[in-house]
Amino acid sequence: MQDTFKHAEACWQCGTPAEQDLFCRYCNSLQPPDLDYFRFFGLEPRLKLDPEDLQQRYYKLSRLLHPDRYTRKTSREREYSLEATAILNDAYRTLRDPIARAEYVLKREGFENVEPRSKNVDLELLEEVFELNMALEELRAGDESARPQLEVARDKFLAMRSEIDRDLQDLFEEYDATRSREILEKIRRLLDRRRYVQNLVAEVDRELSN
Amino acid sequence: MAYSDKVLDHYNNPRNVGSLDKNDPNVGTGMVGAPECGDVMKLQIKVDEKTGVIADAKFKTFGCGSAIASSSLATEWLKGKTVDEALKIKNTDIVNELALPPVKIHCSVLAEDAIKAAIADYKKKLAQRSPQTEAVAEKA
Repeated sequence: MQDTFKHAEACWQCGTPAEQDLFCRYCNSLQPPDLDYFRFFGLEPRLKLDPEDLQQRYYKLSRLLHPDRYTRKTSREREYSLEATAILNDAYRTLRDPIARAEYVLKREGFENVEPRSKNVDLELLEEVFELNMALEELRAGDESARPQLEVARDKFLAMRSEIDRDLQDLFEEYDATRSREILEKIRRLLDRRRYVQNLVAEVDRELSN
Repeated sequence: MAYSDKVLDHYNNPRNVGSLDKNDPNVGTGMVGAPECGDVMKLQIKVDEKTGVIADAKFKTFGCGSAIASSSLATEWLKGKTVDEALKIKNTDIVNELALPPVKIHCSVLAEDAIKAAIADYKKKLAQRSPQTEAVAEKA
């Protein structure tokens, strides 16, 4: 995976060549934290990662980067620690969630500006979505007979979501092993489908709780 | 973001909402959707067998105002056109007519896709018709 993030070439403090690390390997000063989220945690960019390991790294970095540790450092390091703490939280939120993590990798790999096209969703799903929306409309119009139908539909979409999640896990492994763009494309399609299903579940839940 | 008057007009008074019998051999159905926004659009055409002209068009769209307006406008434009003329409708025509802002261009794309899908479905039925009729005749 190519790194799109530009990082300083040498430690700002001691001039040691920097290697995409948060702390200089020689003098241990905090470096400009504009790193890729994976590099930030000192991780290889992989779609499958160990959540416990990530959490340990997060706790450790939270301590190391805490602005309180920098009150007697230079203003430059104080600034970096504030920046780094903000990035740390974003990075952790993104990487700990498999879906957000996959979306992050897709974005890095240039998959973000794809026009939303209907071709990414299969017809069968669209028809189910359409029927579901019809039932939602009936319920909103006060037709309570639509309620059981919606409950059935919600269970169906929840099952669909679980299936997508299982398929995603397999594709994550495959991508880590192959780094193939073809796999990323498959992941993107599945994520599109998942978003669709997720929106529906949320919408049905909202209506059913009214 | 403010909607243009034309979008509001179509949104408040959508033309041709409803559905046609999708099993009718002269009806083509296009079902499209955009996963990003959760929109789903069904657009149907009924073609006059003898003239090849689109006699009726209906739609039902679940989505934002621009998606509804785009499909409503599309059905208006479809009526009276031949199938081949209808294929020439471009999403940019819809964008211009409704003055859609850039963030809503995908709604017009969806409408164009729906037109194409409906026509493709109709053409598929047309192509299947003769062998099917024979098959039915053989059975009888």
